[in-house]
Amino acid sequence: MIKIQSLSKNYGDFTAAEDISFEVQAGEIFGLLGPNGAGKSTTINCISGLLKPTVGEVFINNHSVMGEPIQAKTSLGLVPQDLAIYEDLNALENLNFWGQAYGLSGAELQQRITEVLQQVGLESRAKDLVSTYSGGMKRRLNFACAILHKPQALLLDEPTVGVDPQSREHLLNAVEALKTQGTAVLYTTHYMEEAERLCDRLAIVDHGKIIAQGTVDELRSQLGEKDLITLQGDFSLTDEAVIAEFELIEWQDNSIRFMAENAAAQLSDILARFEADQVKQTAVQQANLESLFIKLTGRELRD
Amino acid sequence: MARSKMSFTVASLRIKRVIRERWGLISWLAIPMIIVFLMSLLAGTGSGKLTGRLLVTDLDDSMVSQFITGGFAQGPLAEIFTTKQVSLDEGKRLMDAGEASAWITIDNGFGEAFLSNEPTDLKLVKNPAQRILPQLVETSMQLLVDAATYIQIVFEKEFNVLKPMLEQQKFNDADLVALTLGIKQQIENLEETIFPPQLKVVEKAVEEVVEDGDGIPLTFGLLMFPGAIFMALIFAGNSLAIAIWDDAKNGVIPRLSAAPSGLNDYFNGQVFGAVAIFTLIVSVLGVLGAWYFALPWAKMPVVILWLVFSGLVIYLLFVTLALMMPSMKVANIIVNATTFPLLMLGGSFFPMESMPDWLAAIGNFLPNGFLLTGLKDWLIRGEGMVVAMTVPLVLGLAMLLVLWLFDRQLIKKLIHKV
Ligand SMILES: Nc1ncnc2c1ncn2[C@@H]1O[C@H](COP(=O)(O)OP(=O)(O)OP(=O)(O)O)[C@@H](O)[C@H]1O
Ligand SMILES: [Mg+2]
Repeated sequence: MIKIQSLSKNYGDFTAAEDISFEVQAGEIFGLLGPNGAGKSTTINCISGLLKPTVGEVFINNHSVMGEPIQAKTSLGLVPQDLAIYEDLNALENLNFWGQAYGLSGAELQQRITEVLQQVGLESRAKDLVSTYSGGMKRRLNFACAILHKPQALLLDEPTVGVDPQSREHLLNAVEALKTQGTAVLYTTHYMEEAERLCDRLAIVDHGKIIAQGTVDELRSQLGEKDLITLQGDFSLTDEAVIAEFELIEWQDNSIRFMAENAAAQLSDILARFEADQVKQTAVQQANLESLFIKLTGRELRD
Repeated sequence: MARSKMSFTVASLRIKRVIRERWGLISWLAIPMIIVFLMSLLAGTGSGKLTGRLLVTDLDDSMVSQFITGGFAQGPLAEIFTTKQVSLDEGKRLMDAGEASAWITIDNGFGEAFLSNEPTDLKLVKNPAQRILPQLVETSMQLLVDAATYIQIVFEKEFNVLKPMLEQQKFNDADLVALTLGIKQQIENLEETIFPPQLKVVEKAVEEVVEDGDGIPLTFGLLMFPGAIFMALIFAGNSLAIAIWDDAKNGVIPRLSAAPSGLNDYFNGQVFGAVAIFTLIVSVLGVLGAWYFALPWAKMPVVILWLVFSGLVIYLLFVTLALMMPSMKVANIIVNATTFPLLMLGGSFFPMESMPDWLAAIGNFLPNGFLLTGLKDWLIRGEGMVVAMTVPLVLGLAMLLVLWLFDRQLIKKLIHKV
């Protein structure tokens, strides 16, 4: 449904997205997971036609976004990262506006507005001005505006940023409901829990490039059954050889990271290799997307 | 169908937002009214009647010169002008200070030359900052001179008796009595035929300048009133143009560009919305003005149409300027910086009639200026509609078309500026 072919986007000399390729099928949620500035929004904006890719092609429902924009955009829904609604109008007026922008009208539009309001749990506030909403409610409305026309392809750019757990639950449930209805969803986030919960497949992006791609299980298996151990303290005078048998990810003067099988059982042995008081903090993470990201980039997902 | 519906929705949302926001609309309506009121007060009387001050330096101090100067101190002209006798120095000082509308100097020997039927002339100095009043003085003087000439012809015989007496400063009582009786006789003979029409000529001429064919009294307030509506349109156009940047900033325009029924419908909707808001403003102010200044109601539909059309030209001009700028901040600065010259030179603060000619000429190059002049020439000065309005209409329509096409392209570029 959504097909991206070797997409690159440059801003002058700076490459914000480089050689991005993936496909999202109908009824599938595809995640783009990456830290701030990874190029997630750049990719989404190239897909929605907001940005013109420097290289590459994007197809929505087999229509090229650049070549046949109207046909391509008809099947597309977009939830932009920044709110794009009228704060000085109420939810009904906003939904009416966005519904018409996607060619809905009359009774059909009114019915969809009712359904969508219910889906995001805003029925009781529908007639209040958006400026009186909480941040999470605005995000829910921002989302609702994109799904009125039942798009076959839906782009969600970090829809849950700054949203309380209740609003987030509403949103994630709504996205899952769309998936079961056959919508192809592209979901960007830097919350790996969300990616793990929602996404059938995902791509991890960093510095504009896809550094890993697959199902959550496939990606996890890249780590093997290993856990991620992070030690903090002063390691400036220590020789890396003390943990030679482990898979070293990062060695810095104030922190080191490495992978170890069954870390909990080995931890006291590992700590004994350092001098007393040298290690100030110890963290052990089970294999997850976050540790995969750290393994691949040497950095944490949230910086 | 769905597309025009979308434009309609965009327009109605714009109107709703303007009405809900309330203060913008109130200020668009109120500021022009307050300014007309204040400027009318400054210009003279509360009712905004045209008044001026006329300086007279009579170096001749003859019967003829008194006839000329006296003409301004009597009848309908006296209601408009306060006449002040001044010396040459005082007259020059007051004119330089801009404290009078016009200054008439009658040179020594004027009366004598006049009576001898020699070429005579009067000196008139006009205040360059005013247009109507000095014009009025000039026209009236012309008429008075004509009247004097008329008298000269009628009383030629008597003048010929009078002249040697004046020359020799020797007044023969008997001759003087005979002359006076002769003049009295002539006047009595001619009273019914000459003087009423003679006076009528003066009166009618004055009325011709003061009133147009439809009998609208020409007051400062009336001269300002169409310009004041333009002021409301300029303020409204300014805000509505910047409001497009708001929609770019709040993400609506970028998001719309990802929708199939996108920016063209949005832009047309903005234009329709602006037209509706202008219609509202123009109707309210137009009806108030028509009632206050007793304008003919039959002209109101054309007045309203013309003003809405003018508002649209101004709006698209602002939109173009705003959309060409790299950021909302710069757009704001530029649009505001353009607003004030438009108001000042285009006849909204000061009627162009009261501007120096060269400034008024600049004002007439501004779109609001020529659109306003076209309207006033027809509405207030009684020129024919075709003569007064065709050129501004064609220019305005051409601007509308070009700007509209241009803005449709510019708005697409806005996405990359936010
Ligand atoms: N208009 C622009 N001009 C220059 N550089 C840009 C522009 N827009 C984005 N960038 C750069 O491109 C890179 C990718 O930005 P992008 O917004 O795609 O990141 P992101 O993954 O969406 O990040 P976030 O999680 O913070 O939303 C960043 O380094 C950003 O600074
Ligand atoms: Mg982003």
